[in-house]
Amino acid sequence: MKIAGSYTVPFPPERAYEMMQDPDVLARSIPGCESLEKIGENEYRMKMKMVLASLSGAFEGKVRLADQKPPSSFRMVVEGSGKIGFVKGDGLLTLTPKDGGTEVAYDGDAQVGGTMAAVGQRLIDATAKMMIKRFFENLRSVEVSSR
Amino acid sequence: MATTITKPETLVGKRIRRREDPRLITGTATYVDDIKMPGMHYATIVRSPHAAARIRSINTKKAAAHKGVIAVFTGKDTQKVGPVPCGASLPGLRVPHHHILAMDRVYFAGHPVAVVVATDRYVAADAADLIEVDWDVLPAVADPEKALAKGAPAVHPEWPDNVAFNYHQEGGNVEKAFSEADVVVKQRITSQRLIPTAMETRGVVADWRPADRQLNLYSSTQIPHLMRTLVAQMLGLEENRLRVVAPEVGGGFGSKLNVYAEEALMGFVAMKIQQPVKWIESRRENFLCTIHGRGHVDHYEVAAKRDGTILGIKLHIIQDLGAYHQLLTPAIPTLSVLMMPGLYKTQNVRADIVGVFTNCVPTDAYRGAGRPEATHGIERMVDVLAAELKMDPAEIRLKNFVTKEQFPFPTATGLTYDSGDYAAPLKKALDIVDYQNLRNEQAQARKQGKLMGIGMSTYGEICAFGPSPATPAGGWESATVKIDPTGKVTVMTGASPHGQGEETTFAQIAADELGVNIDDILVLHGDTAVVQYGIGTFGSRSTAVGGTAVYFALQDLKAKIKKFGAMLLGSDDVSFSGGQVICNKTGKSKSIQEIAAASYRAMKLPPNTEPGLISTHFWEPPNFTFPFGAHIVVTDVDRDTGAVAVRRYVAVDDCGNILNPLIVDGQIHGGVAQGLGQALWEQAVYDDNGQLVTGELMDYAVPKAHMMPRIESDHTTTPTSVNPLGVKGVGEAGTIGCSPAVVNSVVDALAPLGVKHLDMPMTPETIWKLIARSKS
Repeated sequence: MKIAGSYTVPFPPERAYEMMQDPDVLARSIPGCESLEKIGENEYRMKMKMVLASLSGAFEGKVRLADQKPPSSFRMVVEGSGKIGFVKGDGLLTLTPKDGGTEVAYDGDAQVGGTMAAVGQRLIDATAKMMIKRFFENLRSVEVSSR
Repeated sequence: MATTITKPETLVGKRIRRREDPRLITGTATYVDDIKMPGMHYATIVRSPHAAARIRSINTKKAAAHKGVIAVFTGKDTQKVGPVPCGASLPGLRVPHHHILAMDRVYFAGHPVAVVVATDRYVAADAADLIEVDWDVLPAVADPEKALAKGAPAVHPEWPDNVAFNYHQEGGNVEKAFSEADVVVKQRITSQRLIPTAMETRGVVADWRPADRQLNLYSSTQIPHLMRTLVAQMLGLEENRLRVVAPEVGGGFGSKLNVYAEEALMGFVAMKIQQPVKWIESRRENFLCTIHGRGHVDHYEVAAKRDGTILGIKLHIIQDLGAYHQLLTPAIPTLSVLMMPGLYKTQNVRADIVGVFTNCVPTDAYRGAGRPEATHGIERMVDVLAAELKMDPAEIRLKNFVTKEQFPFPTATGLTYDSGDYAAPLKKALDIVDYQNLRNEQAQARKQGKLMGIGMSTYGEICAFGPSPATPAGGWESATVKIDPTGKVTVMTGASPHGQGEETTFAQIAADELGVNIDDILVLHGDTAVVQYGIGTFGSRSTAVGGTAVYFALQDLKAKIKKFGAMLLGSDDVSFSGGQVICNKTGKSKSIQEIAAASYRAMKLPPNTEPGLISTHFWEPPNFTFPFGAHIVVTDVDRDTGAVAVRRYVAVDDCGNILNPLIVDGQIHGGVAQGLGQALWEQAVYDDNGQLVTGELMDYAVPKAHMMPRIESDHTTTPTSVNPLGVKGVGEAGTIGCSPAVVNSVVDALAPLGVKHLDMPMTPETIWKLIARSKS
């Protein structure tokens, strides 16, 4: 499944980039994230609660940041699995200045399997979009509260 | 003694209400999940979320330590259990070893890897979540055409081309036929993967009695006796120590014509824990792990003369087999080849099948099993040819039918069609719809820009499976009829009805033959400890083969009744009628009750006659039967939404003699529902990674009551000479006749837009896109 889109945050690319490399910020921004623990350079173990329509369950996985080119782009690789299935995602995030803020464009591939794929198919796309939107909204409020 | 005998009304041929229905509609029938036993445990099966992966390790510790869990088993524990059996054999067939639990690798999403056994169903499910499998995920392939491409992931590493078998069959001289043709039409036609969706999912209860060395296995199956033989082998248990019971079975449609891993697995578990164990398949498991049907990509070529005479047919089938062979998986497409000429007399055919492994659940028999694919193909091709030649689809069919003088008719594929009058149901159906006026109406509608379609199919099918040499497991059927000392009659059939109504039709046969009240007759089936060995219910065989066995057992019994009657009446000149043996000279009579009592009391016996009234007959059919019919479907397609509305559905079926028109209608209705499902709505979809994305009823559209049109059902009657009942079978006819008629109708509706072919399912989305494209 292709996932692509963009979201504009009201702060400059340098700030946006820096925040998205910060595990504490990520932990507070990723929807459902319960913990994010560093296990290596740019690599984190994540626990999160996943909700997809009538399905919900705990997920455990890894987040890895790669190809970092501050402040303009980096790659995020996510891998997680739990009772209700598994998710793998690999996406490139590109940051460009826009009206004093930053447009974050994302473009990636996601693979969903297990029960989530079998019974949640109709909702995966919408759920993924909603989670991404919420991520940026959270990022924005974290930034506001940190001022 | 009464001397006036009134012949009771005969029941065969009457609309007798199904005697099994009261318990079904009052919720009092006993299905597998209704079985409760003291000390019964519950099993949950842990399944692979991946379509292809190596198992690095399985950690069962947390699950095993969970309160209420008494055992956890993985592939290492069950590796000595024999493989899940494949009963089909083809030359050069590659058969992967199908362990009941995965060993070090999984081959499809849903592949069982472990079983958790607990005191409670919910505890077992919770504990199953605690099992940790370390997966090494591998690339998968879920599409048979992609699986054949170079560089595709190998489903089974030992066979990197993913080819399980190649099969070739031909008859006549195809090259000559094609070289003499005025016209050759070609079309790629698919018959998508379907999920059988029986209302009752599968389920197994296993009960091991160590003191008796006896395993009782209750399973929702169509084939209790074959299962006993095969599961006993898998478990290394003597066959007579295994009892299989098929209690009430809530639909099978072929999906329960199988032996699954879970049946042997529950036997294994019960023997290990020495307690009864129950496993009930969830709907999600049913979609993922019970066999699917169809899965064809067919390439057809038909050669014809300009006048519409069909000269020859070439067919190349790509069959999506899935990851394993279940009981009959590779045999199903060979039935398509047998049926490929349809009702047409062409003697020149060539067919090739390539059976392809994919990382999907196996395909196998689903209502029609190979014949719907073949009928869909040939009936589409005849319409494609008619369109090419600008001929009427009815006219081209009538031109090519085997004529009624030609029976028995040997086909190019090696069959002998028993009897038929193929023009009769088509003409009748054309009359019912008032075909000429309907075409005029269509011409008017088209002028107004409306999309109205008229489509037909004239199907033939192979039923009453079948002569033993032509079937994988023996094609006979058995019956025992016994009359108790009080004159009550019990019929035990080796066929295992599960919705086909044989508790009613077999009672009708027995009531007529013995002249007794139908309420005095009990029909038993589905328990290997009660019923003599039998084959089962599938392939529209139960009445034509099983009913015939009942008929012959009754003839034996009637002869014996007459002997006892003659003895009791002191006359050799007797006849048997209306439940009485009557002395032709004196008119004196003895009732069947009196005779039964005397036969068991045995104060005196006729010469060379044993006491008691019981007879068993195993009937071997000399041939298949070949029912046929014509379905005409009138559709209206909505230009704005792409939705297809079925305005009229006319089905004229010829299944030979009809024992019970009510039951035959029910079979036609149910069959048409499944055919319409395939034509319009249903499709099992796997994504590129082998994930089944139509994993529940929200995403897999089986027709609901409000989606069904009214079915105008009618019949012609051409009895078969294959059996004395003259019946052919009707269980699959509705499905087989349906899908091509519906597709032909919608293609006809869209013909003004230049549409020549549509693949199934013809969802509003696909049709809307076609309409939108034709506008641009």
